[in-house]
Amino acid sequence: MQGSTRRMGVMTDVHRRFLQLLMTHGVLEEWDVQRLQKHCYKVHDRNATVEKLEDFINNINSVLESLYIEIKKGVTEDDGRPIYALVNLATTSISKMASDFAENELDLFRKALELIIDSETGFASSTNILNLVDQLKGKKMRKKDAEHVLQKFVQNKWLIEKEGEFTLHGRAILEMEQYIRETYPDAVKVCTICHSLLIQGQSCETCGIRMHLPCVAKYFQSNSEPRCPHCNDYWPHEIPEVFDPEKEREAGISKSNKRSLRSRQH
Amino acid sequence: MSEQSKDVCDPNFAAEASNSEVHSSPEVPGGPSLPASQAAIFPGPESPPVGPPDAPLASPAPQAPSEEGDPKALQQAAEEGRAHQAPSAAQPGPAPPAPAQLVQKAHELMWYVLVKDQKRMIIWFPDMVKDVIGSYKKWCRSILRRTSLILARVFGLHLRLTSLHTMEFSLVKALEPEELDRVALSNRMPMTGLLLMILSLIYVKGRGARESAVWNVLRILGLRPWKKHSTFGDVRKLITEEFVQQNYLKYQRVPHVEPPEYEFFWGSRASREISKMQIMEFLARVFKKDPQAWPSRYREALEEARALREANPTAHCPRNSVSED
Repeated sequence: MQGSTRRMGVMTDVHRRFLQLLMTHGVLEEWDVQRLQKHCYKVHDRNATVEKLEDFINNINSVLESLYIEIKKGVTEDDGRPIYALVNLATTSISKMASDFAENELDLFRKALELIIDSETGFASSTNILNLVDQLKGKKMRKKDAEHVLQKFVQNKWLIEKEGEFTLHGRAILEMEQYIRETYPDAVKVCTICHSLLIQGQSCETCGIRMHLPCVAKYFQSNSEPRCPHCNDYWPHEIPEVFDPEKEREAGISKSNKRSLRSRQH
Repeated sequence: MSEQSKDVCDPNFAAEASNSEVHSSPEVPGGPSLPASQAAIFPGPESPPVGPPDAPLASPAPQAPSEEGDPKALQQAAEEGRAHQAPSAAQPGPAPPAPAQLVQKAHELMWYVLVKDQKRMIIWFPDMVKDVIGSYKKWCRSILRRTSLILARVFGLHLRLTSLHTMEFSLVKALEPEELDRVALSNRMPMTGLLLMILSLIYVKGRGARESAVWNVLRILGLRPWKKHSTFGDVRKLITEEFVQQNYLKYQRVPHVEPPEYEFFWGSRASREISKMQIMEFLARVFKKDPQAWPSRYREALEEARALREANPTAHCPRNSVSED
């Protein structure tokens, strides 16, 4: 074990404020994290050069290591946005949710999680989830209530809903990957490119290997004849675009300008 | 230390520990006492925040544990603690646990407190004992102390006993200055705007706001009780249940009115965390008027601000989780 030879990072008020705010927001996209970092420097250490985000976070993580928590970076499965969250590594349960939800609600989440993992597409239909309401531990839950609970999961960024079907939010994957891999070792799917947990993705119809959409985008970037890396058959799906934070930012700015104009008109 | 012989875990110690928060931790004999409010650079060779000298244990623990020494065992202990949440069968009452296990408990408690705070839920001492400390209740004092130290050193947060009567703790920011974080990620927490809208309506009226009045105001934002909103979801549920659960609002039936009507009041948490001056500033921003356009309310806000300053000349104001979005 590394023990005393591990180099401890240095915590200043810049880092502490950063941690506080990151914790407050739960999960943040990379652009917001960079703004957050700059803000913390501005407040506590105006004249210092802002450290590169990766090093900044590694520095903090070296301090957090002994506490079994970590600032983890992940990527959203549908469009490849980098996201960050403070996660607890010590527990192998859905502990972060535990304080928020009742026993039967947690069990509903577990049931939805199982359906999502077992599904082919990474999505579980609302109907299928609600049909399991009778099997829940704890207080009896009606289907109507279960619908509200599912919405609560969406609002709290544990699930994403698309057209009546549910899948895991990037945050849930980030926080629960370890738990999921240990609890469902046979059912979990893994991306051939990055080897991380895969919920949504594309699969080769011939040999069955799977890839995340952002991994597909990167792997086949500017490749006019995409072929499966495993069996070399034609890759039968549309290749998505690689996530470009610059384009995102411009789109976001024009959107928020419109929004603020509208709000002033009342 | 005599306090170690107490069986009942007394939340008061945390108050003692945090009152001397800034400058030393007298209850930690021989341990490093680093005031969290110093913009201190931790020297590299200093032992990690939860190092062995920091453990005032009931028993003379002979081993020199390195909690990194066996993470697997610790993980198992954590799992046991978490999964069962009941006195673990492996712990006979009087035998003191290994220091490493107390350290582990302190970590769990730290996370528990951080998550509760993130969700803006009340940190209630009996819950802490029930959900985290469990069978280690006898050592909860040292566990709590260690957790407070970690929170102060790593996060710059003070775990403060805000009410001995209700046994509530809260996490208070220990970094100066406090109010600026609102600027950091503006427009990202729409919940706050919604809540402030309702609170300011109640404040300006000077008494409870009828639900119909609240909806008139929310209609301006495009929110209706029957329509689901893309950000807020079920707005009615949010304001009549969630905000109420979090003690930001009170939702009560208006007496002697048929058919039944309901009205909103400020909740205890709103009164604690949000100052009248902040409401005036919010109103000024939204309506593009000077706060003095509401003269009597503005006077009230000034008086409250003065009273707060006199009552707490040097201490920090309670952390305002709402404004720091």
